[in-house]
Amino acid sequence: MAQDPSLDPNRLLASLVERRVTLDLGTIDLCFVAALYVRAQGSGLTSFGEQELVGLFEEVCARVDPAAENLRKRATHAIQRLRDQRMLARIDGAFIARAGEYTLSRLASGIVEFFLHEEALTPESLTLLTRTLQISLDEVAAAARAAQTEHDWHTRVHGPLRVTVTDLVAGIERRQRGLDVQQEALQKEIAELLGADWFGAVERCQGLLDRTSATLRELNEVLLRDTHQLHASLQDVLELCVERGNAEGEEITHRVVEQVDRIAAWGSARQQAWSDYYQYVHRYLRDVVRLDPTRALTERLRAQLSGKTGRAFALTVARAPSMQLLRDVVAPPERPPVKRPRKKREEPPEVVSAEDPRARLEARVRQLIASGVTSLAEVTARVADEVREDERFATAGRVAETVARLAKPRADRERPWRPIRDGLEIEEWALWREEPTG
Amino acid sequence: MSGPGFERLEDVIADEAFPELDLALRRGRHVDRDDGPWYTLLVEAEPLLVAFYRRYDAELIHRSDGYFFLLPTSDRLGRRHLSVADMLVGQALTLLYLDPATVQHGGVVDRDQLLGQLATTLGTDALVRALNPKRRRYDERVAEQTARAKVQEAVRRLSTLGFVELMTDGRLRLRPALLRFAEPVRGTADPEAELSRLVAAGEVALAPDDADAADADRGDDEAAADSAHEGGGDDDGGEDGP
Repeated sequence: MAQDPSLDPNRLLASLVERRVTLDLGTIDLCFVAALYVRAQGSGLTSFGEQELVGLFEEVCARVDPAAENLRKRATHAIQRLRDQRMLARIDGAFIARAGEYTLSRLASGIVEFFLHEEALTPESLTLLTRTLQISLDEVAAAARAAQTEHDWHTRVHGPLRVTVTDLVAGIERRQRGLDVQQEALQKEIAELLGADWFGAVERCQGLLDRTSATLRELNEVLLRDTHQLHASLQDVLELCVERGNAEGEEITHRVVEQVDRIAAWGSARQQAWSDYYQYVHRYLRDVVRLDPTRALTERLRAQLSGKTGRAFALTVARAPSMQLLRDVVAPPERPPVKRPRKKREEPPEVVSAEDPRARLEARVRQLIASGVTSLAEVTARVADEVREDERFATAGRVAETVARLAKPRADRERPWRPIRDGLEIEEWALWREEPTG
Repeated sequence: MSGPGFERLEDVIADEAFPELDLALRRGRHVDRDDGPWYTLLVEAEPLLVAFYRRYDAELIHRSDGYFFLLPTSDRLGRRHLSVADMLVGQALTLLYLDPATVQHGGVVDRDQLLGQLATTLGTDALVRALNPKRRRYDERVAEQTARAKVQEAVRRLSTLGFVELMTDGRLRLRPALLRFAEPVRGTADPEAELSRLVAAGEVALAPDDADAADADRGDDEAAADSAHEGGGDDDGGEDGP
């Protein structure tokens, strides 16, 4: 399934930073927005005139901050702040011609709805919600059994699953979050009670702990009992979807099953966490608070740590040495000494001919010139034929040098290159034999 | 699994949790309710195990705060005393354990709170000097770094002894055995007299005088160097061993 591009975190964050989005709502502003929301809902209003806004702000101030002065001026500023933060929008388009009409934005409504719906789960509300959910699921299962056409599936199965059932489950989850918030607040309250009243707070702390434990236990019992039935109904719907090959219904049912699983897991996880906390606080109350009703221990320990009283000391603890296990005796393997293969430093002498190759070459060249060869290329080719292939290049050079010494080459203006053997080419010289003088 | 009470020592030793528990106790571990099967075994077999460990010249102590530990009364089993850093950190953790603000988080604190407690109670300079006893002149930044490292090390050692539990997110769960650090000041009696009683019982040892302390520090250094050389170094406290 392709992700909605607007949910790309990089784009979203970049957009928020670029627009420098901030929210700054004081309690008065929040109360003002809440009052506008409630008035709009109660009276069916879609917008407010300026006078209504100012009047409502004055009512809010009278309840929340009766000592406030300059109410009209403060109302003007509050309205401007809300407009700047896109909570209040002017919708009339009359600009300066007449006083404006304003409406709450979706953002403002969302904030108020959050506070309105921030309810905590109670055994009563949970029982009510799970029963309603069970009835809805039974109806969906019956509709799935009776569904004949695609339209029936859409209107009587998919729709209720997607809207009614999902909303009910989401309602339970929202209340679970509310209860989480309540528990956090309760833990804070217990700490504050002890901090303020120490020994005097023991009974109240005990009461708070017991009440919350009882609530959680009841909630978990309801969850264990009801989620089992919910799962059974969802399984029926799922089987019908599979039987009729309804992939969409299957997908929606799976999603609801996951939500119900999450609700059940929340119950056991919270009860475990609360159980740990409950035991910890009980131990604290018993071992610390009751045994030190005047809270003198903390002061004496602080004095001890800072060295103001008593001598420094160190606790004694056991320290058995670790057991030593001797290794089995294993004879070490014999390793050959490190050495490298020896190489003969002196090669045996090689038998070579005593004849001077240069002298032999010169004699051969002299012989060829004497025989009437008048071309360097021909002399070179004939000498090269008599030597090994890898020596031909060097031999060609030596032939040229010898020829230059023994004969008189005639250098034309254009001196052609002639191939001799194996891709070897040399510059052609015509040769004049020098007659010995004297 | 341990049964509901034991009649014979043989049954206790045959319990599958016993070997690990026995080793942990001999290594100085304090065992409390959070240790589950170990604590249950100790509670159910307490009379038998008290007699068992007495044969090794060690007392199995059960405190009303809900924890057990083994206290050697001679050198038959090894024993040692906690180091200065361990004692400072242990007492600061005990103060946090007693603090009602900790109750909000179920007895879980983070390391910043511990350092804050130490710095508030001792003062930053005194804390840094206490954790850098051999340095007469020092660079402030380096000394603070050393102090933080020593606190970390002490926390790790205290966790192996069962005084705190290191959580996966780096925070510390405080355990009831920390109340041992407050023993000399817990009763209504004069702390000096209480301390003398604890010394006589072998539960604590008095810290040496300054001159002795310097010698001990040098000894600690050598021991720490040796143990580091050997790949050990899990404690730097004084030690009496067989």
